[in-house]
Amino acid sequence: MAVSTVYTTQSFHSTCSISTPSKTHLGFNQKKQILFYNSCGKSTFMRRLTSVFGGAAEPPKGGNPDSNTLISDTTTVICLDDYHSLDRTGRKEKGVTALDPRANDFDLMYEQVKAMKEGKAVDKPIYNHVTGLLDPPELIKPPKILVIEGLHPMFDQRVRDLLDFSIYLDISNEVKFAWKIQRDMAERGHSLESIKASIEARKPDFEAYIDPQKQYADAVIEVLPTQLIPGDNEGKILRVRLIMKEGVKYFNPVYLFDEGSTISWIPCGRKLTCSYPGIKFTYGPESYFGHEVSVLEMDGQFDRLDELIYVESHLSNLSTKFYGEVTQQMLKHSEFPGSNNGTGLFQTIVGLKIRDLYEQITASKAAAPLQATKA
Amino acid sequence: MATISSISLSTPRAVPKSAEPQKLSASASPQLNYPWRRSCQLAARRRMVVVSSAPDKIEDKVAESIKGAEEACSDNPVSGECVAAWDEVEELSATASHLRDKKAASDPLEAYCKDNPETAECRTYED
Repeated sequence: MAVSTVYTTQSFHSTCSISTPSKTHLGFNQKKQILFYNSCGKSTFMRRLTSVFGGAAEPPKGGNPDSNTLISDTTTVICLDDYHSLDRTGRKEKGVTALDPRANDFDLMYEQVKAMKEGKAVDKPIYNHVTGLLDPPELIKPPKILVIEGLHPMFDQRVRDLLDFSIYLDISNEVKFAWKIQRDMAERGHSLESIKASIEARKPDFEAYIDPQKQYADAVIEVLPTQLIPGDNEGKILRVRLIMKEGVKYFNPVYLFDEGSTISWIPCGRKLTCSYPGIKFTYGPESYFGHEVSVLEMDGQFDRLDELIYVESHLSNLSTKFYGEVTQQMLKHSEFPGSNNGTGLFQTIVGLKIRDLYEQITASKAAAPLQATKA
Repeated sequence: MATISSISLSTPRAVPKSAEPQKLSASASPQLNYPWRRSCQLAARRRMVVVSSAPDKIEDKVAESIKGAEEACSDNPVSGECVAAWDEVEELSATASHLRDKKAASDPLEAYCKDNPETAECRTYED
């Protein structure tokens, strides 16, 4: 269920949504919410995102050491697990998983997200993952950009409507299994059977409550096993698809060569030498849950810096502020999992897209009062 | 027991060696009449201090939860209890993994300096 990074494996499925306050006329009080699901605040995606905005995101100083919240200069990342209505014991007694909506207080989630979007501070509960208990609340001041990540960011319609942008990280079953094995095999007590059993037991709830949220997302990052190596089951080489919804305000999908056409591109050849199994890109329009989308796909791995810059120079609508910004961001966090494949690349690109969205929203809010005074 | 030994043994770094046996005898230990056992206790307590508590506890929790889940599911594999038990295993495994990463990423000096930037070892000079 969370964002997938091989080493951290916290969230194998993430959904991300951004929202800005539309009712207030404060030009400088923009709020965006990004939702991810599962891995609360510690996921690689969040770290890449906050890095694009500048500054490092840290847990609140002087507060609960087990807080799930991350705060940087512009951004606050909130973990939706904090809105669990049942703690670990409560869920055990009722026989429900954390994936079940019955374990979550959507009314409080909506109230607080709305309040923060309107510029009010909230006392948000803390769900302590170590003890499994609900700790006393922490004060969250309204930030410029609010990111909510967790299992159910798009489950409740009211919360969904508050979001400016949403992202879902969709990890395929094979990749999820491979990642969980890497994460848990070193853990005393775990075996292949226990890992499998855990995934299987949670599948019904996952498919009923979590997976359907992807149809609402503005961008989906789908992680699949590679097609470049027949019969590969190690999950080391990944095929990653960035599915971008068309027609979303302020969001211009990334494209390769010619927008709206279908392209298949292998950059390795005379100008660029790649090692096995190489890199393959595809781009084209598709349909996703009845929506028109553009899909940019990368299969394979980057081995060298020049491969990355070569690829970046051929992509368009990246919303970079200077040539090489994507490569620079990837290099800045080269120790993060996924830095050599599509997961890191697309997470970075989505981060830049979100920055662009934020700036456009801010600009339009600043322009609106001016137009009102002109009229 | 673990807490008592960690308090008494963490100070020996600053305290001269001759003081050590006195401090140890001050802490409750029924084995002190047998000096050969005392050195074993000393060694054992020293070993105990080196191990950090949080990852161990979470690892124990993970192992326990797996046993619990296997038991809950042996009765009825599709019950809410079984599913909730495996969900707990997943939650604890993820938390254990997070804590491991946090521990691996943390540098004691950086952590100290973040909270105390004005102390001598943390001051930075930019000309």
